Amino acid sequence: MFSGPIAGAIEYAGRATNVPRRIGCGLGRIGGLAQGLIVPASLLMAWSVWARLGWLPEQILPPPSEVFGAMRDTIDDGTLLSSTLTSLRRVAEGFFAGAVFGLAFGFVTGASRLAESLFAPLFLTLSQVPTLGWIPILVLFVGIDELLKILVIGWAAFIPVALNTAQGVRDVPRTYLELGRVLSLSRLSTLRSIILPSAVPSIFTGLREGLANSWQTLVAVELIASFEGLGYLMAYGRQLFQLELVLVAMIVVGLIGLSIHLLLSLIESHLQRWNPRGQS
Amino acid sequence: MSSLAQTFDSDAVKHPLLRIQDVSKAFIVSDRRVQALSHVDLDVEQGEFVSIVGASGCGKSTLLRLILGLDTDYEGAIRLEGRRIERPGLDRSIVFQEHRLLPWLTVEANVGAALRQIKGSGAEKRARVEAQLHLVGLQSFAKAYPAQLSGGMAQRVAIARALVTNPKFLLLDEPLGALDALTRLRLQDELLRIVRNRGATAILVTHDVDEAVYLGDRIVIMSPHPGRIASVLPVPKEMSRDRSDPAFLRLRDDVLTRLGVNKAAAVYDRLLEIPNEQRVH
Amino acid sequence: MTSSVMDVRNELVRAPDRKLAVAPSTPRLRPLIVPIILLALWEIAAHTGLADPRFLPTLEAIAVRGVKEFAEDGLTSDLTASLARDLLGFVVGASVGVALGLALGFSRLLERLLSPLLLAHRQIALFAWVPLISMWFGGGEAGKLVFIALAAFQPALTNTWQGVAGIPKIYRELSRVLTYDGWDFAVVIALPGALPGIFTGLHAALIYAWTSTVGAELLLDIAPGIGGRMNEGQHLFHIDLLFLCVFLLGLIGMVFNLIAGAAERRLLRWRRS
Repeated sequence: MFSGPIAGAIEYAGRATNVPRRIGCGLGRIGGLAQGLIVPASLLMAWSVWARLGWLPEQILPPPSEVFGAMRDTIDDGTLLSSTLTSLRRVAEGFFAGAVFGLAFGFVTGASRLAESLFAPLFLTLSQVPTLGWIPILVLFVGIDELLKILVIGWAAFIPVALNTAQGVRDVPRTYLELGRVLSLSRLSTLRSIILPSAVPSIFTGLREGLANSWQTLVAVELIASFEGLGYLMAYGRQLFQLELVLVAMIVVGLIGLSIHLLLSLIESHLQRWNPRGQS
Repeated sequence: MSSLAQTFDSDAVKHPLLRIQDVSKAFIVSDRRVQALSHVDLDVEQGEFVSIVGASGCGKSTLLRLILGLDTDYEGAIRLEGRRIERPGLDRSIVFQEHRLLPWLTVEANVGAALRQIKGSGAEKRARVEAQLHLVGLQSFAKAYPAQLSGGMAQRVAIARALVTNPKFLLLDEPLGALDALTRLRLQDELLRIVRNRGATAILVTHDVDEAVYLGDRIVIMSPHPGRIASVLPVPKEMSRDRSDPAFLRLRDDVLTRLGVNKAAAVYDRLLEIPNEQRVH
Repeated sequence: MTSSVMDVRNELVRAPDRKLAVAPSTPRLRPLIVPIILLALWEIAAHTGLADPRFLPTLEAIAVRGVKEFAEDGLTSDLTASLARDLLGFVVGASVGVALGLALGFSRLLERLLSPLLLAHRQIALFAWVPLISMWFGGGEAGKLVFIALAAFQPALTNTWQGVAGIPKIYRELSRVLTYDGWDFAVVIALPGALPGIFTGLHAALIYAWTSTVGAELLLDIAPGIGGRMNEGQHLFHIDLLFLCVFLLGLIGMVFNLIAGAAERRLLRWRRS
């Protein structure tokens, strides 16, 4: 059982030992997996049992069976799919727009000290405003249709992409640049063979954060100002006190979040194979 | 506060201070068994300075860890003053190759960190810390942070930290390896002076043969695969610590040859095709 | 909404070290050039009627509105209400996050038990919790506070956990060599070593809490708060109020970043060489 934090600290310190692996490590690994599943499994069980016993009022948590039922229904009548696709499309469009501009802006401000001193402070100041805080103004300017979503989601992506790209370009080691000069590379070649490859890890970090930000912002925007999409599905379910709908949408949101995370980790590990300086 | 579980040996003897008997240790690295140490025997007397040289993989650092008590999984016995070593203790100090100073503590706090498990008043401990810093010549840097020190200075603080507990045994694991050549030479002298000053017993592990000959009273030569002691050479008491002294150079060449690195001898041997074991002894 | 926050933070933490001047002839004034030009264009457009005054009020109009709001119409109390919510939620959420992060860093058992659950929780976008929370706690104060605390909890937990786990093995080994007991290890090595991570977490939590405060106020029941005023401004087409609010939001965000950045620099002095 979990011993006190001080004992835990001693155990933690003891992890420094280089102990040769023993035969039992196979069993240990299975044990590790089981330990990981204990908590989620018992929560799930407690949920169904309490719901079955009638201890759980519907407004708090509908029984798992109803959640599955709602999932089946929304899949059958196509709402889940269309909502998901709408949301995904918005993220893709917004992220793409924000990323393209972010790369351009980041590149320019990273490469040119002049550009940086002119534009970066204004940009940093504007990014102090929480992204969602722009929504009321933008609603008045462009209404509640798709442009609003793209602008807000795009801005959410723009910030990390621009910052990380600028940093990646700025932080190209001077030794590499000197190498370019020694080899008498043209500006374009320097760009292609030296600056870009060196900046790639940072750029990728920016893109990854931009995508994560876009996804987060999308959910918020759909809750605040939308009549379609997963966010809207949640708001709708909330309005009608149909928690099972809210939970279904949350599960899908979680799954998409997980997929994005896994996909990006995959790409990153692929990139890192060639670049020992790859960032995490 | 510091408690050593003590296992008394029926034939405990006061000499030698440290006795390593028939020690063997294996690691499993990616499902392969690597014999880091194989049947190592070594006695170290009180006040001795033993240098251990060898190529990478000869087990010298592993041996230090066993003596330190960081690792107790091995065959054989290691006894300090007759008692088996079961865990780290403040009677044995180590200076690592990286200084391992805690970056968030000042120099004097770093040295004082070694005294936490020792009973004593704050004033006493402060005095001890000051004395050690004085010994290594850094008393004016007591309030500095490690990030503000050069490599040589940081390593000197590490040495002060190792000595402040008044250890019976000072272990040095390639302590000067991360420093530039000039600093290294300077610190070698410092080390000699400090250790002689205290009359401490020390084991130095190094891959620098000159350093081993310069500092040691005895030179233990280890060879790898499996890690074992190949030979032990005494350093003649009359030999001066002068790197250009012919006796020094002869001893150094001897060590190099035994390590298989002496070029002249190696070429000669290859010409005559003398197998390794039968070379110059 | 993940670490773009941290990027902005990093920029601001780094800012004092980096000089903007390139040529000595135009030193610190460069950053003001573009904003001044834009503001000038704004003023011209607003005054000459080039832009619809409903969409682009003059800067004086915004200022006048600002004075009016603060003097009479209670924007002060709205701001106070928002900040109070924000800080309360931040303190609760961040404390739980740091405490749990420390526990997870120290106890391998706890880590194994809880990490799948926490990992799953992290995948769900923050705002996806709003409908659920508003059903459980209502859309009033309680609901908003829970949501803000949740927003602060996440980064505090993750960064603290990483801070503890990231303590280099050489320091952990050092504690064994010095025969430290658990207490000494925690006080001398673990906590100071984890402190940079903890601070990163607290900084991020502060920003996330503010972001979620604004979002929650936009989403949930109208109550004293800047989000509520912004909703009102949107519905009544009071664009001067909206510009004012955006300006205030940015100001508060910047103040938070600067405070947290300064705190980090002060307390982590030992990092500088």
